[in-house]
Parts: sequence; C-alpha cells; structure tokens
Amino acid sequence: MVKADDAVLKTAAQCRHYAMCKIEYLGTGLCPPGKRYHYVSYYPQGRMDLYAALSENLIPVTEGLVHIAETCTLCGVCDLQCHFVTGLRPLKVMEALNNYVADYLKDGGKPVSIAPDESLRRLQNIVGPEWASNDPAVLVTYANDPFPLADRRMPRYVVLPGTREEVASVVRLANELGLPYAVRGNGGSVFGFVFSEGIVLDMQRMRTIAIDKDNWSAAVGPGVTSFELQEEAFRQGFRVNTAEPAATVCGNIVCTGTFSTWSYAYGTAADGFIDMEFVNSRGEIFRLNDKQAPNVFAFENAVIPAPGICTEATVKLQPTTADEDGVLVPFWDFDEAVALARELGRRRIGLAVAVLGVHYIANFMSPSKLLADRLKDVLPETLGIRYVVFAIGDRFARKSIHELAGAVIDSSLWRTLTLGLPRLLDQDWQDLVKGFEGGRPPYETLCRPEMRPLIEAALCPSPETLAGAVEEDLRELYAGLYSQPRFTDMTWLNMFRIVSSRMSRRKHMFAFLVYVPLDRNDVINHINTEFGRIAEAQGLDHDFGFLTPMDLGKRAILEYDYYIDHTDPAERAKIGRAMVEIGPWLDGLAERTKGVTFLKYVFSQGCSRKENFLYR
Amino acid sequence: MILLTGGTGFLGVHIAAYLLEQGEKVILLARSKQGFSAADRVGRLLDWLGVGPEARKSVRVAEGRVDQIGLGLETAALSSIGPAIDEIVHCASSTSFAERKRAEVEAVNLRGLEHVLDLAERNGCRCFHLISTAYVAGLNPGYCPEEIVHPAAFTNVYEETKCRAEWLAAERCARAQIRLSIYRPSIVYGHSETGRSLLFNALYYPVRTTLFLKNLYETDIRERGGRRAAEMGVRVEADGWTFMPIRIRVQEGAGINIVPVDFFVRAFGAIREGADGGVFHIVNSRLTKIEDTIEYTKALFRIRGITACPEQEMEGKPRNALEAVFETYLEAYGHYMRDRRIFGTERSGPILAGKGLRCPGLTYSIFKRCLDYAVDCDWGRKLF
Repeated sequence: MVKADDAVLKTAAQCRHYAMCKIEYLGTGLCPPGKRYHYVSYYPQGRMDLYAALSENLIPVTEGLVHIAETCTLCGVCDLQCHFVTGLRPLKVMEALNNYVADYLKDGGKPVSIAPDESLRRLQNIVGPEWASNDPAVLVTYANDPFPLADRRMPRYVVLPGTREEVASVVRLANELGLPYAVRGNGGSVFGFVFSEGIVLDMQRMRTIAIDKDNWSAAVGPGVTSFELQEEAFRQGFRVNTAEPAATVCGNIVCTGTFSTWSYAYGTAADGFIDMEFVNSRGEIFRLNDKQAPNVFAFENAVIPAPGICTEATVKLQPTTADEDGVLVPFWDFDEAVALARELGRRRIGLAVAVLGVHYIANFMSPSKLLADRLKDVLPETLGIRYVVFAIGDRFARKSIHELAGAVIDSSLWRTLTLGLPRLLDQDWQDLVKGFEGGRPPYETLCRPEMRPLIEAALCPSPETLAGAVEEDLRELYAGLYSQPRFTDMTWLNMFRIVSSRMSRRKHMFAFLVYVPLDRNDVINHINTEFGRIAEAQGLDHDFGFLTPMDLGKRAILEYDYYIDHTDPAERAKIGRAMVEIGPWLDGLAERTKGVTFLKYVFSQGCSRKENFLYR
Repeated sequence: MILLTGGTGFLGVHIAAYLLEQGEKVILLARSKQGFSAADRVGRLLDWLGVGPEARKSVRVAEGRVDQIGLGLETAALSSIGPAIDEIVHCASSTSFAERKRAEVEAVNLRGLEHVLDLAERNGCRCFHLISTAYVAGLNPGYCPEEIVHPAAFTNVYEETKCRAEWLAAERCARAQIRLSIYRPSIVYGHSETGRSLLFNALYYPVRTTLFLKNLYETDIRERGGRRAAEMGVRVEADGWTFMPIRIRVQEGAGINIVPVDFFVRAFGAIREGADGGVFHIVNSRLTKIEDTIEYTKALFRIRGITACPEQEMEGKPRNALEAVFETYLEAYGHYMRDRRIFGTERSGPILAGKGLRCPGLTYSIFKRCLDYAVDCDWGRKLF
C-alpha cells in the first residue's frame, strides 16, 4: 500500500478524466508511453488513477504496473498540459508512482504476474497479444470516473481493437462468452456511463482521418479526437463542428450529437455527418446509408441504447473565410443578451454564437484559478459585465453586430484584456474604471476605440504579463504559449476549445443541458432560476453556463452547471439529492412546454434528426 | 435615545460622533462586512474620528440592515430597542448612480426607508431626520426650493430614489404625526481643517485619475522606454514636473457645489436644534469652478499641460485617450461638475447664520489638506 504523500494523493484524486493529457493541444508534445501503448494506464490520467488505487490498496504491484512505471521518463510534458486547463501539476504524481514501484522492487518485492485465461487468449487472438489485457493495473484505470453517482466497476478485460473487423469479432466473442461490454472512444469516461464488468473496448488505436475535399467530408475512425480532426481540417482550410478537444468525434456524435457554438450555423446531431458505420449487437457491420439500416434518425424521448459501436463517421467539412474573427458583446442583463443572440439567429448573422456567463469568460481568459476567481468578481462589480454574447463571423457579420449592439469587445481588445489580465485586476485600475460609471455600465467606456491607448498603457499586455500570474517555474512556458497568436485568437480557441476544460478547474463540473425555445425568455429564466434554487438548497456551487441559438434562433441549447468536489462524499450526497428533484421537474416542464428537451434523452440518439427532438 | 441608520457610512459616522459629543444616547444600526462585525466596524470608525471613551458609553451598536423587514434585527432586540427610540436619523443610503443596480438602490433607498418608518410609527417616535440630497431637484434647471419637489426627470437612479424617498417620508410622517426634517446636502467632501475623509469620489475622482495617469506614464518613461508616454505626448520636464496634454471642457459660470463634512455636521446639528421640521438645503453659496480644481491639482502634483477649455473651442475636435477619460467622467457627472442651479436656503440660511455657520469655499489650502490626506491613506485603503 502506498504511504501516500497527502499533497500528491490529493492531486491524483483530483484528476477530472478530461483526457487533455492524451492530445497534443499545446504543441508541446505528447506523453511518449501513452502515444506508444495507447492504454489509458500509460497516460498521465491513468497514472494518477494508479497512484490513487495503490493508496487504497485496490491493486497489487503487477508486471503491468512495473512496465507502466518504467516507461515513464518524467519528461514533464504532462505538467504544463494539465496545468493549462486544471491547474494541477501531475508530474509529482508520476514521480511518486515511479518511486513507489522502484522502492518495491528494491526491497525485493516480486511483481504479481496475472495469468491469461481462455477468454483473454481468444481476445488476444483477435486483436493481437499486446492489445487485450487483464492486468489489474490496466483494468483499474477503466474502472471509475469523476461522476459522483457511479461506483467503481472493474472490467475483466480491456481490449484495443485496430479495425472494424476486430470490433465485430470482439462483439461476437463477447456474445458467445456472455460478457457485457462497454465502448470508450478515447479510453476516458466522465459521466459514469461507460463501465462494464466484462469488456471495455478502447478505440484509441483506430485513428484514421481521410479528408475528401471534393465531397466536403472527412472519414474518421472512432479513436480520432475532436482536436485531431479539427487540426487536420484546419490544415487543409476547412472547419468541422466538433466537441470538446479530447472527446472522440464518433463517440460524441453517437452519444449526444455534436453541439457547440458552431451549432448555431452548422446544426447538431444528424446535421453533422454524411454517413456512419456501426457494428451492431450481433457483431454485424452496417452503414446508415444502407437502405436496410435501422432508422437512427428518429427520436424517442426515452433512454434507449445506441445503435451499435461506431467504427467510422463521415463528417461534414465546412468552408472558412480569411476574415473570420470573434467579438464579445457585454451585458448586465440576461434577457438583453438573449434578445441579441436571438436577433442574430433570425438575421442569420455570424457562424458561431453563444450567451456566456461570467464563470466561463473568467476561466477562458485566466491561466490560474486564483485569477479566474478574482476576474469572476471584477467582471460584474467593476465592469458591469454579467453576460456576453460571443460571436464569430466574417467582417460583414461583425459590422452588423456592432451596429446592433453598440459596445463590443473586438479581437484586438480581447487580446489586450487577456494578455494584460493581471493588471486589469489591479485595484488602482479598477477604481479608475468604476469611476466611469454613471448611468451606463463601465464596459461601454472600456469598449470605446479612443480609450485603447490608455488601456494598452495601463495593462501592459504581453505574454510575460499574463505569465506572471502562474507559478514561477511555469512562467517561461506560459509566455512561450501566449506569444503564439492562436492562444488569443477567438476563432482558433473556439474551434479547438482548448480552454473549455478550465471550467472545471475550480471543481468537477456537472453539466445539465436542455434544449429550449429561444423565444420563451420566461421558460429560459425559469430553468436558470430553478437550477439555481435546487443547487442553493443543497449548498452546491452553481452557475449559468451558456446558451447557443440554433435553427435560426428558434431554439437553443442551454447549459447550467453544478460544481462539486467529486472526492468529497458529502458533495456526492448533495448532487444525489439534487438529481432526485431535477429529473421529475425537467420531465414535467418538457411535457408541458414545446421546445424543451432534456439532453439526457438524446444520449445514445445523437444520430437523430435535430428536428425530431427540437420540435416534438 | 436616537436610532441612527447607516452608522458606518461617511455622513452617518460623522453625525454619530457629533451626537455623542452632544451627550446624546445613540443606537447605531450597522452591517457586518468583510469579516468585521458591525460593532468592530463602528469601533474602528469611532477610533478614527477620535471619539473618546466617555462618549462611547452612550453608543450601542445594533447589527442589522435596513433592506430587511424589522431591520434584520432579532425580535427580542427589536422590542428592546423600539420603545426607547425618540428620534431617528436615517442616513443609510445606496449612492450608486448605476441603472443596472436599480433593484439594489431601490431596496435600500425606498424599501429600507419604509422599514425604518415602520419602526418609527410602531414605537411612537417623535422626530424623523432624513438625510437626502440637494440633487432630488433632478434635471430641473434654475432655482431649487426647500420644499418637496416633483421633477419631471432625473439624472440617475440615485436622484430618483432619493426624491421618491422624500415623498414617502413626507406622506407617512404626516399620517403618523411624526416631525420630519429633510436635510439636503450638495456634494460632501473631507474635513476642511484636517482633510480627513472616508469617501474619495466626486471631487476626488478626477484628481485621482490625473495622478493615476501621471504615475502610469512616469513608470512607462522610467521603466519601459517611454514609448506609450511619447504616443500620448506625456513627458517629464527638466525641472521634474510632468507634462500631460489634457483639455477639459468647462462652461462659463458653472461649477460644482461642494461642502466639507465638518460644515455639514455642524449645519445638521444647528437645524436639528433650531427647526421644527421641514426641508433644508446644506449647500455652498459659492460654486467651485473646475478651472480652480485644475490649477490646484497642477500646483499640488507638479503637473503642466492640463487646461480648462471652453466647450465651444472643443466642439467637433478629436480627443486623445487622456481627454477621453475625463470626457467619460464628465458625461456621467457633468450634471454636478458644471452646475448652475441655485439651491434655495430660505429656511436653512437663517438658522445657520444664527449659529454663525458659513460654508467655506474650496481654497488651495483646503484642497491640499484633503488631497494630502487622500494620498496618505491611499484613497481610503489605509484609513485604519
């Protein structure tokens, strides 16, 4: 059992499983053993879980664990990657895990050898000996996630198939052996769904991307992440409507359909793909474009299983123009922000639109939790900003938004505010800005073009200024990152969504998503108020997340977030009690109100036509 | 026994100290804030004002807030305090001009007043002193009488709610036969003899802004090569004075009506003693011209280049970023900074004259005293 260093263990336990350590999103490299061996166990995320599991005496030191530890060279790539979005420093956990295994061996400990059983041998015959395992050091990293209402469930086997035929064979074998199975696109799990006592299929090895420019499409394997596909599409001058960067494209479509701020223009669910390939529960391969394929485009307002294991998605590529850029329109009043978002939808202005709350804005901008917390107070109190309408558009769209909205934060001001953020929070500067406020909110003054030289002088925006907000040993690295224009480019950031995981830096985020009628502010406000009330009653942190108009401003998707310390049993109990109230309330609301659909019921029906759940 | 609300506010604490000096027994209603209990906050402020131990024996602090029914007091506390109150001095107020804070301003300035009036009515209180503002006059130009007014429009939510508060107090006090005195100060700044102040807005803000800009560009020159200072035409001259090219719009004959807090408190005391209810302006008969404050600022802080510029000369001309800052401020506060109104003193004038009270004009020495104090206490951050 690990004689755990409390601080190290705390870091290990705080891993959110967002898998950002599994994509090369900062351009600073990727964990070499993870890249080579693909199992989650070899990535920093898995190593964090392993350290926590050892401290709980859940697993012995196995041959697999020794290999996992020995392949980590403590290169440090994970430290910046993880810190950028979570504020955690996993390198010390990697060191502690390595030290533990090294000490165990030095003290004469013998690693436990886990003998393969007949089922494993048959699985290995299908996928190759390296890609199926029953070693507890592998299994345990597929056994839990931060979802507070799911208990740990150890699988018997973890399998990493390399082709659709292998997937089909594994399914047939599982049926034959009577083993249940669950599928993980990128090996990770966040919402407590993809556990199995039988087999976990991790699709990480199936990472093909084939761009077909003439057909405006990309065929992607089930292990391809949003970030990777977007990167390839971007390189070739296209854009794809993708989800969180570490989420797999196929998994995301099957699960809920892809929704993002780009869903404003590109839609969601069946709007995003041209065709998809599945292996069904009998181990047969089919494509949605087959005439005999099951009708996955229909929607049923119920929790139903997925049509099968997606082995390929052919998704749409979208055109881009060179003059795309972002703007933020600040608001104090939520209804006014919603009205603008709706108006943009009606007038078909822009490509990506969302109403965001201050928690989002503060965390998008801030490289540290401390700074984000302070900014979250300063935005409303000093600047009069409680919401922004965020939009990406070409120059014509931005001009229209300016005309409709008046005061806007354009990309240049956004860059200035981001790179000068620590100074934006200086008390002297805040006092000065507060004094601008008469009847009109101070942000209007801040947005005036003639104020720009003063703002530049006061904030001294630079990568170094911003990097001053993080720990000293990371400053040079942060300055290097923020010297790259893309790190303050609203369009790039919104396409690749690399800062969205910062939402959970404070605590694990428990997101509630609801499709809503955008012309019903009363309904939207009721939903926000009720989520807030229930959270308050349970003593849970909570915040409005975002609202993205869809289908020409007729509908929208709304996210409201609860924040919990997933390692705290009391918090888990609170969210459990909250859920008891939320389910029936939202079901009743959806029954009474056209346009309201709880995303819970879209789970596994992400291939359906959006019209079937937006206009029930 | 006197109940005083807003006991930790700028005017409230000065009035409290004055009443204690007069030998009155005072209950101060105050909120806890930032980890300090109401009693701690009041204690620190009374220390700051130099209120001695003897006088403090007559003060009692009640932790509560006006925006809650029953002033947020426990029932027991309320029933022990209520019957003992003969007089109420209602200073608690939200001074925000921000429309976005309307709900909060109304909660304090209107519903808060209602809660205090409820207490007054319930306990047979004899006198109600309402601290209002001269700016209930709203957008009315010209002469502003010492009577309840009904302006057609207001500059901001603060003016509007203070005016509505007067209507409310007048109506309810008349109905309950409580003697009502309404005190309408103009803009109150620090102590004319010591410079001491709790608040650093209004008169102070433009000066503070000037100093912020001066420090900003001096730092740029000293530490970063001075590129940004040069862009704005800011330089440090050979004799150490800083040149900042800023034109500030002024209007002939207009100015700001300001009174020092010591005058305000003495005037309050005189009116409380000498009048049998009514509305009273506590204002300055001489407006302070922006041109004067510019010259004072330049002399005190060794600055050149700031000029008062008649409005017609600036018409249509582009503003630099420094000027834009002051323009923005004037957009919000120009109504007060370029005032021409005459606030009538037919009621208050004779009372104050009878006590030999005359409001001092803002001379350079008073200005220096107040601004030295402001800088020394880092604009209120190092008050205690």
